[in-house]
Amino acid sequence: MAESNKPQWNEDGQLEVLTFDVGEERLAVEAVMIREILDLLPETKVPGAPVLVGSIVNFRGKIIPIADLRVAFGMAIEPSTPDSRIVVIETELDGEQTHIGLRTDKVHEVALLNQRDAADTPAVGLRWRRDYARGLVRRPDGVIVLPDLPQIFQSAQRGGEGRQPLGLAY
Amino acid sequence: MSGDDPIAAFRVEAGDLLEGLEQALLDLSHQLDNRGLIDAVFRGLHTLKGSGAMFGFDALATFTHHCESAFDRVRKGLTPATPELVSVILSAMDHMRALVEGDGAGLEAVGSDILARLQAALGDAEQPESAAAAPVAAPSATQSAKGWKLFFRLPPGAMANGTNPLILLDELRDLGEAQVVAVVDDLPNLPDLVPTDCMMGWQVELRGNISREDIEDVFIFVMDDMELRLEPLESEEEAPVAAQVETLPDQSAALATADPSAAKAATPRASESVRVPAERLDILMDRVGELVIVQSRLSQLANSGVEGAAGELALRSISEEIERLASELRDTMMVLRMVPVASLFNRFRRLVHDLSRETGKTIELVTEGESTEVDKTVTEQLADPIVHLIRNSCDHGLETAEERLKAGKPAAGQVKLAAQHAGGEVLITISDDGRGIDRARVRAKAEANGLIQPGQVLSDFELLQLIFHPGFSTAAQITNLSGRGVGMDVVKRTIEGLRGSIDVASEQGKGSTITLRIPLTLAIIEGLLVRVGDGRYVIPLAAVEECIELPVSEDLRMRGRSMIQLRDALVPFLRLREVFNTGTEPDQFQKIVVISTGGERVGLVVDQIIGSHQTVIKSMSSLHREIASFSGATILGDGGVALILDVMHLVAFGQQREARLRAVG
Amino acid sequence: MSASILTVDDSSSVRVATRIALTGAGYSVTEAVDGMDGLNKARAAKYDMILTDLNMPNMDGLSMIREIRKLGNQAGTPIIFLTTESDDAMKQAAKAAGATGWLVKPFVPDQLLKIARKVLGR
Repeated sequence: MAESNKPQWNEDGQLEVLTFDVGEERLAVEAVMIREILDLLPETKVPGAPVLVGSIVNFRGKIIPIADLRVAFGMAIEPSTPDSRIVVIETELDGEQTHIGLRTDKVHEVALLNQRDAADTPAVGLRWRRDYARGLVRRPDGVIVLPDLPQIFQSAQRGGEGRQPLGLAY
Repeated sequence: MSGDDPIAAFRVEAGDLLEGLEQALLDLSHQLDNRGLIDAVFRGLHTLKGSGAMFGFDALATFTHHCESAFDRVRKGLTPATPELVSVILSAMDHMRALVEGDGAGLEAVGSDILARLQAALGDAEQPESAAAAPVAAPSATQSAKGWKLFFRLPPGAMANGTNPLILLDELRDLGEAQVVAVVDDLPNLPDLVPTDCMMGWQVELRGNISREDIEDVFIFVMDDMELRLEPLESEEEAPVAAQVETLPDQSAALATADPSAAKAATPRASESVRVPAERLDILMDRVGELVIVQSRLSQLANSGVEGAAGELALRSISEEIERLASELRDTMMVLRMVPVASLFNRFRRLVHDLSRETGKTIELVTEGESTEVDKTVTEQLADPIVHLIRNSCDHGLETAEERLKAGKPAAGQVKLAAQHAGGEVLITISDDGRGIDRARVRAKAEANGLIQPGQVLSDFELLQLIFHPGFSTAAQITNLSGRGVGMDVVKRTIEGLRGSIDVASEQGKGSTITLRIPLTLAIIEGLLVRVGDGRYVIPLAAVEECIELPVSEDLRMRGRSMIQLRDALVPFLRLREVFNTGTEPDQFQKIVVISTGGERVGLVVDQIIGSHQTVIKSMSSLHREIASFSGATILGDGGVALILDVMHLVAFGQQREARLRAVG
Repeated sequence: MSASILTVDDSSSVRVATRIALTGAGYSVTEAVDGMDGLNKARAAKYDMILTDLNMPNMDGLSMIREIRKLGNQAGTPIIFLTTESDDAMKQAAKAAGATGWLVKPFVPDQLLKIARKVLGR
């Protein structure tokens, strides 16, 4: 995990995040990265794209990829529910500020996480790649995972989770 | 705005006329006996002369008149069109352009010189007809009298042809005190009366200080066909009525008094306006319409006093709408500034024509992809660099006809200009089939200028890149053609100033190609929208050769094969359903879209051809940018997304696959 | 109601200039860009006056005038054509085709208005 990717706790040791469910995990992303929360939009599949970002949508006239973090965390892909939302974030990707939509199963709330509740990702016992998380935070209602989005996306670009299968030995 | 200023409108129109004339003349220089072109040139000169005179551009009108007369002789077959004549008229165009832009001050010498050459080209010493001089008004006898007694009868068909005798009578009444008596002797019986025929005559007594001209003026349009008897009621003097010569205020005098300063008034340069296809304005109108609706919703909300969550929700919804509209408006506006590169490429036809004459080599200019669209400012900045590159090709790249024939090439050298979109970039290539870049000379020059050490090892790529180095062309300019202070380094800098890049490829003996890549903030594509499975895709229309129905029987026959029979040829094909792994069942009646690029073809099998679609290419995020099959995505009218197929990649892929399958057996 | 004038000319600057002059004098102006366009517009509506150039693409002025005179709806409509000073033959031909009068090119707005007043009355 890159040093610069460690959670940027503020001087009070707190971090404002948006929490949401992806599969069985509860994830959190810095509130400053959040641009919008949308209902599900019609998606267009992109043949040959990394499985993680297999489709794109029209977001206010821009074409943005939809990232399904369930792929990164090795979870089964379940159909959408009425609670499913797209969380649009803005982050740097290959030196460009890019909008990406995260598919979520349920969006919870904007919460303040405390540094004192934080723990490093354990070396064993995870169903997913250790370098995909920047850390964990313990809370009364469970553990919240802080995903390392740049790492996840970079890995996808390099073919980490595989690409959408294409016919004809593409 | 040229919409309200006739002078500005004339300047724009004259610009277009001159451009059209130039193209016609260039075409004519290759087909000297083409009547259609000769007529077109004559008409253009004629129109330019007429409009020019009308808006006060007298120098232009006079000069153009001479050219028009010269061309009239060609049109009438009195003189043949010769390359020399065409060249002189082309120079005349430049002079005319100067006259349109300014007032011709100080340009008289140039004009006379060109006219002299024109005479020489016509092959005789005949003096040009004098310019359309203001006609001298025929002095006519006038009589002023205390009044007139007149009788007139119009031809029967006069009313059908728009002459209104009542208005004529009113005009007479305006001249003085009138007494009108209708003369109905010649009226036929009612059953024989044709209502639209004028069978009546009128007798009018007019009192007042009226001249004969005044009365004749009233009847000016019908004078030739009517019956008019006119006698003065009483003359002022008994003395013989001497014809008093009076000069009519002739129209040319009126023209001279038309404010000459209007022609000199500062008007915006013609090139500052952009021609916009009407459909784009329609789209803009739609957006503006939507904006108006959203604005009224906002206004309603502001006045409704709804607070709390409901108010916030409504406000958020309106805010989202506005954001979407703002983005679309921005896109649409940028689209308005896009022009096809044809406007840029056409300028070079004249350049190549002139260079051909100057170098004594036969040079052909071939263009491809003229409909590719580029932002207007980009075309303006590309003009100079491309001129320099073309000059280089013509001057250094292309060999003389003899050298070419000896090398087994056609005598005419070819310079090719091509433009195409590739995702978010436009690619412009300038290539020639000349002798290619001489590596040894480049090396020698670079060493001489201290750019590299003697014996320094360089790859071919690095060696060629040296020509862009600022220090490279400081050695004495070889000819004045490539001079003008525009070296390859300046070309490179200009392209980089557009955030683009420049590449050179060259094969000795075969030719050279310079490729300019300019990123576009926006690119428009004219595409064919198709459906494959559940997804929609756009195929650049420029690459589409044809669309064919694929009957089920043919489809079955294609299983296991790599090519389909297309009339006389075998074409590799790709079932996009398989390529994109849609996992859907094929439609019953599939279609094949045959695309081609670089002379290679591939048939794409799709489920449905939806229609043609003009839209904006949106580049995708870096997560999707490298996917070879797609060069971008676009937003469709219903808000959905369609991926744009990368034609070059699919054609190459189709060819490779076909080769592989064939190899396997 | 102001008189309606149809102007037919392939030169956009001439159309602009005549439109300004005529609307400035209170006439309402419809423009057509060539003979075909002029004929179609004449077919669709009755005008109080038609002003036309003769030298146009897509159906020249003479043909257009002939065709307009064949239409039922423009009976009696004055048709004024633009001509150069010296072209008497053209004037005869145009009148034979059914034109009412002419305006000599190049002209200034006042001359145009004078002709309009002449054929339209007050």
